[in-house]
Parts: sequence; structure tokens; C-alpha cells
Amino acid sequence: MTKNKKFLGLKGREAMVLGINIAMIILFSVLSPTFRSYPTVISVLDISYYITLMALGVTFPLITGGVDLSIGTGLVSYALIGGYLVVHKGMPVGVGLLACVLMGILIGILNGVLVAIMDLPPFLATLCTCMITRGLGPALCGGMGISWPSAMSDQGAFRSLFKLTTADGTIVPIGIVSVIILVIIMSFVLDHTRVGRYIIAIGSNKEATRLAGVNVKFYHMMAYVICGLFAGLAGVAYAAYVATIYPGSGAGFELDAIGGAIVGGVSTSGGVGTILGTFFGVFVICLMKVGLPFIGLQANWQQIFTGIVLIAAVLIDLVKKKK
Amino acid sequence: MEKIKQHPLVKKVGFNRIVLIVLLILMYLAFGLMTGGSFFTASRIMNTLNYVYFLGFLSLGVTFVIATGGIDFSIGPVMFCCSLVSGYALVTYGVPMAASLVMSILIGVAFGVFNGYLVAYWKVPPFIVSMASMNIAKGIAAVFTKTQSVSWPQSNAEGGWFRNVISMNGFPVGLVIFGGVAIICAVILNKTKWGRYILCLGSNKEAVRLSGVNIKKWEMLAYIICGILVGIASIFFVATYTTVQPGYGDQYNNEAIAGCVMGGTSMAGGLASISGTVIGVIIISLLQQGILALGFTKDYQYIITGLIVIAAVYSDVSARRRRN
Amino acid sequence: MGDIILTMKDIDKSFPGVHALDHVDLEVRKGEVLALMGENGAGKSTLMKVLTGIYKKDSGTITYEGKEIEFKNTREAQDAGIVIVHQELNMLGHLTVAQNLFIGREFKKGIKIDDKKMNEEAKKLFDRLHVDINPKEKMSNLTVGKQQMCEIAKAVSFDAKVIIFDEPSAALTESEIEEMFKIIRDLREKDIAMVYISHRMDEIKVITDRVTVMRDGTYVGTLITKDSTKEDIINMMVGRVIYEEPKTESAVPEDAPVVLKVEHLNAGKMVQDVSFELHKGEILGFSGLMGAGRTETARALFGADPKESGDIYINGEKVTINNPQDAVRCGIGYLSEDRKRYGIVVQKSVAENTTMASMKDFMSGIFINKKKEKEVSEQYVEALATKTPDVDQLVVNLSGGNQQKVVIAKWLTRDCEILIFDEPTRGIDVGAKNEIYKLMNKLVAEGKSIIMISSEMTEILRMSDRVVVMCEGKKTGELDISEAKQETIMNLATREIE
Repeated sequence: MTKNKKFLGLKGREAMVLGINIAMIILFSVLSPTFRSYPTVISVLDISYYITLMALGVTFPLITGGVDLSIGTGLVSYALIGGYLVVHKGMPVGVGLLACVLMGILIGILNGVLVAIMDLPPFLATLCTCMITRGLGPALCGGMGISWPSAMSDQGAFRSLFKLTTADGTIVPIGIVSVIILVIIMSFVLDHTRVGRYIIAIGSNKEATRLAGVNVKFYHMMAYVICGLFAGLAGVAYAAYVATIYPGSGAGFELDAIGGAIVGGVSTSGGVGTILGTFFGVFVICLMKVGLPFIGLQANWQQIFTGIVLIAAVLIDLVKKKK
Repeated sequence: MEKIKQHPLVKKVGFNRIVLIVLLILMYLAFGLMTGGSFFTASRIMNTLNYVYFLGFLSLGVTFVIATGGIDFSIGPVMFCCSLVSGYALVTYGVPMAASLVMSILIGVAFGVFNGYLVAYWKVPPFIVSMASMNIAKGIAAVFTKTQSVSWPQSNAEGGWFRNVISMNGFPVGLVIFGGVAIICAVILNKTKWGRYILCLGSNKEAVRLSGVNIKKWEMLAYIICGILVGIASIFFVATYTTVQPGYGDQYNNEAIAGCVMGGTSMAGGLASISGTVIGVIIISLLQQGILALGFTKDYQYIITGLIVIAAVYSDVSARRRRN
Repeated sequence: MGDIILTMKDIDKSFPGVHALDHVDLEVRKGEVLALMGENGAGKSTLMKVLTGIYKKDSGTITYEGKEIEFKNTREAQDAGIVIVHQELNMLGHLTVAQNLFIGREFKKGIKIDDKKMNEEAKKLFDRLHVDINPKEKMSNLTVGKQQMCEIAKAVSFDAKVIIFDEPSAALTESEIEEMFKIIRDLREKDIAMVYISHRMDEIKVITDRVTVMRDGTYVGTLITKDSTKEDIINMMVGRVIYEEPKTESAVPEDAPVVLKVEHLNAGKMVQDVSFELHKGEILGFSGLMGAGRTETARALFGADPKESGDIYINGEKVTINNPQDAVRCGIGYLSEDRKRYGIVVQKSVAENTTMASMKDFMSGIFINKKKEKEVSEQYVEALATKTPDVDQLVVNLSGGNQQKVVIAKWLTRDCEILIFDEPTRGIDVGAKNEIYKLMNKLVAEGKSIIMISSEMTEILRMSDRVVVMCEGKKTGELDISEAKQETIMNLATREIE
């Protein structure tokens, strides 16, 4: 029963990934003295918000044994559409943010229908919605970049949801609070509600779950709806993080999130994974993104490393399963 | 309807293929009418063909992978990686043109080997491998070119001869090469041991293994063939569009897969048609040109291609369900 | 013994080509354990599947608690109080024991699943059954035996009135079986009716009250367990009229050379220290009950599954077989019991399947010589009398017997000297069976050697020159056909608990 070993209340894998995070921080700090600074903390947190939100969502389809590749282009497209309403249609920021989240849920439902009800292979179905969302944003908003109101302007208050600048100019990364609250909520959903329980059950053995009388189609679909919701929230975080959103970008964002989830212990064959693990896993990716330039490697090395780390994490899973 | 399906001529050509060809002709006429004739000009046809070339090679490549029951959606970014790395070597380090072209193909092969090895020998799920190598391809290209775009030489510049792969003095060399490669692919798939094993293992891997066949080798081969074709695609891509930017290429994955599944290749593996893929690619290319000609942005094309793949895969899934 | 709770009368069920249940009767009483016995394929599981709504019966009536019923699915049967404890476990390995027990009907506290209450209820349930399992343990961490207990506990928690055990002891250790029997006795006290499907004679004697025997899809009779002997039951199980004369003596000359020698083969729990020899021109029958380890032995020998140890000699020479490629190179061909999954590529043609294992011989340069391929395939279609319009026909469109012939053709094309037939006639109708038998006899007459795994006693007695009997992964006997009788084989194949 070594699998249930716990360390400071963390499961084995979670503790391990936390350890990797700490090791990376130490490594970067030793190699580059400039890494140890408050601005670094801010920049790691800044990019972590939208990736973490995506990852929290995509953990659910992954646990069912599927995947959602549409979240990256999706979140950019949702943020574009929301921003378009605010900037060009003069709607209040609140409406724009709401539109962003609703779009996410809508595409989540579409993915759910394609995968759970029409029985299409998840990676193909979501690859298609990835293309659809990529086209949808620019098609609706006329192909221009969109800048949500800046933090200085009247309507820019929403940016303080994530990054609060006090009167004396100190930057407070307040977003981490909301993210942690969401991590706690989603942990609860996954571990203590029917939705979560049945999503794990579907990933574990779909047929047995069906035989137990569970409405498998509905709960399978819910995994994608949750993922869509979080892609929408990630859209909000992204809108708050970047100055201008460019149409057609976002491809590849999903990999940071999926990579984070898998590093955090979510198994691609389904049934296994924790929200906390995903949360820690994402930070491995984010630290890489921010940290590599400090040790003289350009930022794009991170992409290569993420690819390798992804395969390594899956291989570790496969080897473990063989035993 | 059944009667038409049973007609010997229809049976020989294949009902699905006839439907596709009819669809192709109708689409062509429809676009022609909607754009008021400008669609029938030589330049439009040339543009369409240019699109057919590189997309066709990608699509032919991924046909082999899908025939094994796998998937590869790293092909677009890998194609860009080939063009960028060899183009950068050409422009910045003065590597000769011929060597650069060979390098393009070799990079494609390297990714094929990498993907194939992970899928066949280490049993990593193909979609994970695709995601990873997509990222690695983008990363390598960006690191190598220091995130700068690369422009291949114009036809009158030194090394510009490579553009002859598309047309030489008005003669459509590209068409000949593409046709030739498609025929070679069809021969490989239908007439050789390679194709036989690739199709059979896509249909029932375990039965082929228990027949004493080294399935790992043949599964990996499909990814390598795909890699070669992606390399060739990259040459045709730069011969058409000249400039490549790092960080992109994803959009072509879906179009290549769309051409392939429209043509009747089954996502479950074991069933593949090269001629179907070729027709499918022509339809996708025509669609792309038509949408542009009608004054829409390419964003609409992404959406429509996405919907087409969903429809094609769904019909494949439900056909399989009926069979069982 | 109490009142009758369940009566199945005149149940009839056919599948394409197979008359699976032929007017079968069954009667179960409250507070009894009824054994349901019969050889593999006698129709026991089919009958239980009809009862619980997995299959729809063609005719007949089911009366339960005085009312005629017909369930649409297992869920309905469950709600009515009839629950199956399956042989393959329907468990969710990533969830805990309590979560598995209550899947689909969790206790809730607002929107929160009340895991605490579920754990308590599970604990209570286990206490009642006197089982020691931690409800918070991950299901995949339990031994198979404990998982089986959970399945039983789950059945009990449905307030079941009838519990069906489908070979519950197949994977259990002896102490686990004892523990399970304790639970069963306990449930009997509580007036629950139980149907116990098993092959193990000694278990039947220990735990059941009555025995109902089925054979070839028909009802044979019912005995009171304590008034009958093991031999009585075996006689009822095998007492069929044998149409084909069994072989009386081996057709293999005494000095026939040994073509295959297997020594101390080990592969997991199902293959323990198995040794045997195969002579040239011999059919070596492998008999035993389901789960005796015969298929596993064949797969380990063929390199399809990894083996832990063991030496293999072909014509006296030691060979290394690590994968099917090695085996085929050594001239061994394997015909799986599950043709569709392991034998043929159904979506491909007869010709393509025929040449699958010997592609090399059909190449001219880099191209496949389709003319030769066609010729050779047609040759075999003719020689084996395969019924197919032409060799371009997809194998999926052929009947089971003809599919089997395509697999045989595959190995003959490869020139295999040793053929392993795993259940050669499973799912094949009677007429085609005879053809397969003739073919096997012809093959050995031509000097090939055959290992035949079969669960059908008549097949073993009719075809084999020698019989190896296995039980629980071990070889329990080796008989010359002249001394092999149904009863002796059955005795070797059934396990003694004491």
C-alpha cells in the first residue's frame, strides 16, 4: 500500500512535483542572482494565471481518458469576442467578461456533444473545435487585435482582479488568491461531488460505470463543459494579463496546460489525477518559461523542454503501469 | 440508389470517390458563379494548385499514419520547422541550395523517426507524441532562427532554381511531381509488403503480431514515410510562399487530416485510399481559394474545415458502428 | 429449505448457428444454495444472462416471487433483488472500496458526497458479513479475493433475494474460499437464495444443497447434494451419447521422433512448471476446465506472452522463443481460440490473410506478387474446401468454420510443422466441425504435429493420441488415449480442496 504514502498531507506525486518546483527555484537562483527578485515572482505569477485556469479545466477531460485541445485557441478567441463587445460595441466590461466565460461554456458543450454523445475520438473532435474557435474570434470581430481597457483607465478595474497596484506603486499579485480559491473549489468538485466521482469512474472503467446505472453520457459531457468554463475564465485572465490580444494566436497554449497537468500526475489513460497535482505541475512549466532566459537560454527552449517533459511524464506512467 | 451502387463501373471506381468528384465539380461551378467568372482564370487555378501541392504531401503523409490507426498532428509545425531551419542555414550560413533541400527532407525524416519510435516501440499514445513534437518542432525552429522569419530566395536570385519544382517556363512541374509521388504512395500502400503490413496492423495489430510479423518496425515505418512527405511538403511550401514565420503551422494539420478523412481513410485504421486523399485535398484547396475569392478571411476557412472533419469523422464512426 | 422464489420454465434461446438453450427449466428456493453445473458451453452463463436481462429469451417463462417477470437490463433485475456476482470483476480500480460499493447511489449531504457515511455503511456491511476490509482502501490495492468479497458485499447491499455466483472461486486462494463460504452460509441463514456456478466438485459438495446439471444447452436433472456422489454428478455432466467413436489407441508409431519438447515452462500463476513432449504426426490433446492455464501455456510457448523460465527444444535442438516472430521461424503456428481478435484480420481478404505470415515468399522485387498470392490462396481454398466466392472476399463475410480454415491456410502457407489449435471448433457449427477434424487428421497423416487445446471432452477423446490434463496452471496428468476415459480426465481436471 505504498501508493497511499503521504508527505505533509500531500500525496506522493504532489509532494514530488512540489519538490521539483523547489529544486528549480534553487537551481535558477544559484545560476542567476537576478532571478531572486520580486519582479520575477510577479512575472511567474502573471503567466501562471491563465495557464493554471486552463489546466484546472483540462484535468477533467484528461481524467476521463480524453483531452481537450481547443482550450488554447479557445481562450484567445473568447477574450477577443468579449473585448470586441467592450471596445467596439461600448458594452460594460462586466458584460464582456461574462461573454468570454459563456463562450467557453458553449464550446465546452459542443466538445461534450462531439465526444460523449457522438462518440468521436476526443483528440480529433477537439482538434476541430480548436480550428473552429481559432477562426471564430477573428471572424466575429473583424480580424483586428483588441486591447481591453488598460489598468489606468476607468474601466480597467478588472485587471486588478489579478494584479493590484497600490497607491505607492507596489504590485500585489492578488490573482493568486482567486486561483487558490478555485483550486480548492475544484478539488472539492473532483473529490467530493457526484460529477467528480463519476468522471473518475468513467476514466477508470466506462463500461462498469454504465452498468452501475450512471448516466455516463451526461457526466462524460460535464467534463468538457467544466473544461470549457475554465477556458472561458482563462480568457478573462489572459485579457487582464496582456495589453493587446491578437487574433489567430493561442495555438500551443493548451500544451502548457496539458503538460502541467500530466507532470502533476494526471494519467493519459484516465482515472488518475488530482487538482493540487495539476496546480503544482503548471508551476514547473511556468518556472521554465520565466527561468530559462535567466540562465542564458532563450524563451523558446521552454517549448522544447515542455515537449520532452510531456513525453517523459507519460513514459514514467507507462513504466509504472507495466510493474 | 442501391442500383447505382451495384453498377460494375461504379463499384470499380468506388461510390464514395464518385460522390467526392461530383462534390468537387459542383463546388468549382458554385464558386465560379458566385465570383462572377474570376474563379476560372488561370491564376486562380495556379493558386489552387500551389495549395494542393504542399497540402497534398502533408495529407498523403498523414494517410499512412492514420492507416495504422494512429494520428499525427505535428505535421504542420514540423513542415515549418523544416523550412525554417534549412532556410536559415541557407540564408545565414550560406549552405548550398541543394543541401538545404536535402536538409529539409532529413529534418522531416528525423521527426518521423522520433514520433514513430515513441509510438511503436515505447507505446506512448500518438496524440501525446503529436503534441510533444509539435512543441519541440516550434521550439527548435524558434531557437535556431532566433525567432526571425526566413525568406527563401526569389526565382531570379542565386539558388532560385528550386522554384522550378513548381513550374518551369510555364510547364507545371509541380503537378508532375505531385502526381508521381501520389502514384508511388498508392503503389507502396497497395502493392508492397510495407503497405500490406501497415494496413493490416491498422486493422488488427494483435493478429498480425501473432502471425510472426515485426509490427513495431512497420508501424514506425508509417511515421517515417509521413516524415519524408512532410519534408517534401516544406519545399513546395517555401517555393510558393517564400517567407516562413516561426511559431505557426498548426492550421495545416487540420486541413491535411481533413483531406485524408474526406477521401475515405478510416480513423480507426486499416482502411486508406490515396486517390481519395488526393481528391479530398483538391476539395480542401478549392474551398480555401473559394473562400478567399468570395472576400472572406481565412478564419472562415478554419471554421468550415473544422466542421468538415467533424462530419467526415462522424460518418466514419457511425459507419463502423453499423458494421459491428 | 424454504419456498420456491424463482422458477424458469421452458427457456429457449438461439444465436445465429447455435441453439444455446433448449427448453431449460430451473427452480430456486429461499435459503438454499443451488449448484448449476455443466461442461464449458453447456449454457449455464447464457441461462443466467437471460434471467438478469442481458439476453432476451426467445420463449419460456420466468416466475419470481409469484409474478411473471422479464427484465430489460441488469439494473432492473438488481432493483427487483436479483444480483450477479460476476467472474470478471466490474470494479473501478481508482476509487476506494466504499466508493465502489455505492457507485451510482451515493449518500449525499447537500451537494457533497457523504464519504464518511459511505465508509460507515460499508464498515457495517463488512462487519455483518464478518469480512475485514478497510472501506477507505483503493480498490486496485486489494487482492483479487478481497475484491470478490466486495462484489458479494455489494450484491448483499442491494437487499438481494437471489444472488448468482458465476465461478466465484476461480481466482481465490483456499483461505479466501473458506472465508467466502462462511459468508454464503451466513446468507443462507438469512433466507437468501443463491445460485452457485462452479466446476469444482469439492466445493459443490461442501457448500451447495442441490445440484442442477445442464449439458449442451439442455436441462439434465437435479440432485440433492448430500445424497449423491461426485461420480453421480460427473456422469450426468458427461453422460451424452458420443456419436463419433473415440480413438481407442494412438495412431502414432512408438518410435516417432520428438519434434517439440517443453521443459519446466513457467509464466505467472497460470503456467507453473509445465513439461511435455510432442511427437511427429501426433495430436496431443490438452484437457482441463476453463482457467486451467492451457491457453496461457500455449501463448507462453509461442512467445505471445513473456515467460519466466523454461526450455524449448525443436527436433532436439534448444531454441529461444521470445516473441511470435521467433516461434514462427521455428515452424510453430498458433490458431487462437478467439479468431476475430487474434487469428485473422477480418477487414482484409482471404488472400491477404493467407499470405500474412509468409509475405517473403510472395515478393517479386519490392512488389507483392499478387498472381502467385492468388494462386496459392486458391490452392488452399480448394484443398481445405473453404466456402468463399473468391479469394478477394473479405474474411468478415465468412462463417466461423471457414474463417478457421483461412487461419489454417495461413500457417500451412508458412510451412509450419507444429500447429497449436486452441479450441479449434469453438463457435463452429456441427457440420463444419467434422470437416475441421478431418483436416486435422489429414495434417498429422502428412507428418505435421498438433497440440490441440479443447474444453470439449468428446473432441479430446475423438482426436487425441495422448492427453495432457491441466488444472490451476499445473499439469496434473498425462494419459495415452487407450487409458483415457472421461471420468479419469475429469478427475484430474477437478481440484481437490482437502
